[in-house]
Amino acid sequence: MPDIQPQTQPQLPEAAPDEVALLIDDRPVVVKKGTTVLQAAEKAGLLIPHYCYHPGLSIAGNCRMCLIEIEKMPKLQIGCATLASQGMVVRTASDRVKNMREGIMEFLLINHPLDCPICDQAGECRLQQYAHDYGAGESRFTEDKVHSPKRVDIGRHVMFDAERCIKCTRCVRFTDEVSKSHELGLFERGDHAIIGTFPDRPLDNPYSGNTVDICPVGALTWKPFRFRTRVWFLKDVASVCAGCARGCNVNLSVFDNRIRRMTPRFNDQVNDWWMCDPGRQSFEPLYDKPRLESAMVRPEGGSATAAPAAVRDALDAAAARLRGLGSGKSAEALAAIVSARLTLEDLHLAATVLRDTIGIRRIAVPVHEEGEDDGLLIRCDKTPNARGAALLGIGAPDAGRVREIAAGIAAGKVRGLVVIGEDPVGDGLLDAATLRKLDALVVIDWWNSPTVAAAHVALPCSGYGEAEGVYVSFQGRAQLSRAAVRPRRELTPAWKLLEGLGHCFGLAAEFRSPAAVFDDLAARVPAFAGLSYRILGDSGALLKES
Amino acid sequence: MSAPVSPATDRAIDALMTLFPHKGSALLPALYLIQDEKGYVSQESMSYVAEKIGLSPVFVAGVVTFYTMFHRRPVGRHHIQVCRTLSCALRGSAAVVEHLKTRLGIEVGGTTPDGRFSLVEVECLGACDMAPMCQINDEERHFLDAGKIDAILETLE
Amino acid sequence: MAFEPLLTRNINRPESRRIETYLAAGGYQGLRRVLKEFTPEAMVDEVKKSGLRGRGGAGFPAGVKWGFLPKNLDKPRYLCVNADESEPGTFKDRLLIEKDPHMVLEGIIISSYAIQCHTAFFYIRGEFHQGARIFQQAIDEAHAKGYLGRNILGSGFDLDVIVYRGAGAYICGEETALLESLEGKRGLPRLKPPFPAIVGLYGCPTIINNVETLANVTLIGERGAAWFAGIGREKNTGPKLYCLSGHVKRPGVYEEALGFPLMELINERAGGMLRPDRPLKAVVPGGSSMRILPASKCDVLMDFDSLMAAGSMLGSAGVIVMDSSTCIVGALLNLAGFYAHESCGQCTPCREGTGWFVKILTRLEAGQGLPGDPDLLASVAGRVEGNTICPFGEAIAWPVQSYVKEFRAEFEEHAARKGCPSRAAAAS
Repeated sequence: MPDIQPQTQPQLPEAAPDEVALLIDDRPVVVKKGTTVLQAAEKAGLLIPHYCYHPGLSIAGNCRMCLIEIEKMPKLQIGCATLASQGMVVRTASDRVKNMREGIMEFLLINHPLDCPICDQAGECRLQQYAHDYGAGESRFTEDKVHSPKRVDIGRHVMFDAERCIKCTRCVRFTDEVSKSHELGLFERGDHAIIGTFPDRPLDNPYSGNTVDICPVGALTWKPFRFRTRVWFLKDVASVCAGCARGCNVNLSVFDNRIRRMTPRFNDQVNDWWMCDPGRQSFEPLYDKPRLESAMVRPEGGSATAAPAAVRDALDAAAARLRGLGSGKSAEALAAIVSARLTLEDLHLAATVLRDTIGIRRIAVPVHEEGEDDGLLIRCDKTPNARGAALLGIGAPDAGRVREIAAGIAAGKVRGLVVIGEDPVGDGLLDAATLRKLDALVVIDWWNSPTVAAAHVALPCSGYGEAEGVYVSFQGRAQLSRAAVRPRRELTPAWKLLEGLGHCFGLAAEFRSPAAVFDDLAARVPAFAGLSYRILGDSGALLKES
Repeated sequence: MSAPVSPATDRAIDALMTLFPHKGSALLPALYLIQDEKGYVSQESMSYVAEKIGLSPVFVAGVVTFYTMFHRRPVGRHHIQVCRTLSCALRGSAAVVEHLKTRLGIEVGGTTPDGRFSLVEVECLGACDMAPMCQINDEERHFLDAGKIDAILETLE
Repeated sequence: MAFEPLLTRNINRPESRRIETYLAAGGYQGLRRVLKEFTPEAMVDEVKKSGLRGRGGAGFPAGVKWGFLPKNLDKPRYLCVNADESEPGTFKDRLLIEKDPHMVLEGIIISSYAIQCHTAFFYIRGEFHQGARIFQQAIDEAHAKGYLGRNILGSGFDLDVIVYRGAGAYICGEETALLESLEGKRGLPRLKPPFPAIVGLYGCPTIINNVETLANVTLIGERGAAWFAGIGREKNTGPKLYCLSGHVKRPGVYEEALGFPLMELINERAGGMLRPDRPLKAVVPGGSSMRILPASKCDVLMDFDSLMAAGSMLGSAGVIVMDSSTCIVGALLNLAGFYAHESCGQCTPCREGTGWFVKILTRLEAGQGLPGDPDLLASVAGRVEGNTICPFGEAIAWPVQSYVKEFRAEFEEHAARKGCPSRAAAAS
């Protein structure tokens, strides 16, 4: 029986009728009724170690790592499943608890393979962390370990190592409760219990990567990241995914100025703890697609090949071509295709320069829809900022307006086209023959797309993760996407290039930073009134009119 | 998909699903019906019963592999299950197992090439007062010794 | 002074399992009496007053457990009969099931009436093929004669009993694992609280009772709580079926009043030690999960409180008798193998610990012991005990701790690689 000496205990604070007040390691804390001791401890600033508990999943209570001492209860209790009650006195660091934690660590390690040198989880592994914090430091186990299959190809993006698995069942609960795809289960029993899938039904749902995130050890690993980088070299940058209109909050993990992986960041207003697999891989085109390395200018006359040029010169060339087709009130011959993948900053300058300064009336935003909204996170709208484009007056994605422009070009009415962040040629919205009718095709993009290849003037901008900017999600949430890597040769964001183009047409404004651009649009566009980068912070802000 | 079981079994499983307040309970008795007909529960049968009851196949596989009485492979016509637990061990179960291994020419866990016998060790069958004992298919045999075992084997075709 | 059989009063009658036999011997009178003279609440009280404690292993007072049911009847109540009997050394429930199923069934009907349940499940271990057939037969007979179904004996009370076969998992004898299995899932014990009386089968209030416990309810229904409480002693009331196995001349089930002396059970009822040249060495008094008693501590009464005071427990009353030829290390290894096979694998200490015990004990038995092994066994067992989801943790920890404690020298001899001192004909 534990020898709990009643000490002079701190006073319990007042609790409202729907709350309880308790003491955890002599810290008073007040929580709502229905809160567990583990959650209450978190609130009090104490981390009770645990594996199987996850706030986004049902309670399993099987790892036993969160066992703590509660006065008046003879046995230790698991904090993850014990409800905090009024006047409860909890001890999370008594000798009894410490001994028990050492015991649990010992049990978990006796059959665990010594894979740390080759395991991706090293550096962010709970087993490592808790072994360090709570383990005995020495093994008493001299027997043969239980061996299980390693390198099991359990799914399209996930690799499974059964020996490393501690059977916490987080992954099983995830596929049952969150993705509801039911691919994972437990087989056998005892120390031969093993996670697995049904034959011919691999772990193949759009959210499989989350099982890797929540696996506390290296049993489930993300194939694209396997053996790629040691996590202690990674620097995480809080950002937002640009793969669809959801705007999941993410961490971009960077090493040596290169994004190595994307993982979800918790936001209970957007994506909770999760993100989809395509989103996880949405940064990869930055390295897979051919980069537009420098500005390209096609000299006047004929079909001469484009040659690299300085950005300054390319802007002048672009302005000259466009000016020649009319501007201001006679900008009938001009049109623009602008992307809902651009940030608000890019779109603000697009509106300011293309619409307000140059006077282009026909501005269209292409539609990028694939599949359906899946009721979880994935949106069929694969652009991150359609809502933003609409709010800034550019217009929501509209296939009809793009077709109008295409028809206008074919009919010879539209002679000059500015394309920003879109590839209408590659997407089949415009064909090469139609494009040849143009007298001016000015393209701003980050990669060497077919449209860039056809341009008279192409200007290179930064890609995803290379510049700060704000997206507005389909829910009307403005969220800040941060710069995680530096692009080569100081490539600037699209808005900076547009600003430069604007200067050629008499635009006076000059912005020193993306924040300055955002402040300007916040001052001019009522939907964003009062907002700033500081206010958006890491979790964004819901726009008032949402 | 056409059921890998007979229409009678299929209908019997239908009936099971209405017998219980929640149809999930039908799984264990359904697996028994399948095993009674086929001798074991195949992967195909697991898919079939999963779809029938509205469960995921991996869930069904988890259930089949949890319980010792569901066979995933065919067993011998006479499935000999010798109790190995303490009360039987104190009364000579080890010798029973050895004798059977010698007589049948197989290891524990094995099946004779002609499919006639399979031999496994099982845990306490709750017949400790008649130790050492075994169960052959669904019939218990008690107070075993070499002579008795030989006599029993001879009666099994 | 011979105990008048109560639970076993019918088992030797020809065709004892048939309802005709049962009725002719005065069966179902208890049910009649209860339906006529007791409201459900009053019957719960009656069972409380009787002092009947669960016969499955935990010894929890049955009436008190029934009293935990919520007062409201928003959700249906269920009674689950625990006929999973798998505790090594235990074979009393199958005796009742196979030889006097109606006695059990009558207890089920009375209990269901008391707790206002209209569907009872008879969860029987899969290996009891004959028992399942026999009990289904008894249910069918009872239906035919109006003891089950609608408006039983004109009382307005409806009840169906459904037989559900387990499929080979000792853990399904744990009440919440039983519920999981009954729901068609892997038999993994649930976290408690909530307790089954509040959230049980299909989320509804549920009572799980052992077969022998329910047979006792029949007796209480027949003759009342006061009479029942007069058998045995305070807090340890009623008749008890003791299972004797191992190194005795007449293994079997013996019925006595609770509190019968252990040595009399062994020497008188079970005919004494198997061989005169092999004296008593140790006894496991309550099924393999209970702490072992060396011969010197066997002068004890076989009831709940006496055995608790002696450092063990009555448990399932599976009395396993070991004589001097027994290697205690080998016996523990045998049981460790049992627990390793039967661990459900859900929680860390049991899943990993059970396998570890087998490995250490295998080494000891094979002459590859290490000096630290006895302390290691005790230490690891100490880290399993109290830290698991269900009592399976204690079920393995207690044997390990008590065998090492009571027979330390034997473990040390093994650890010093001196071989097995009791190896001589342990399997004779």
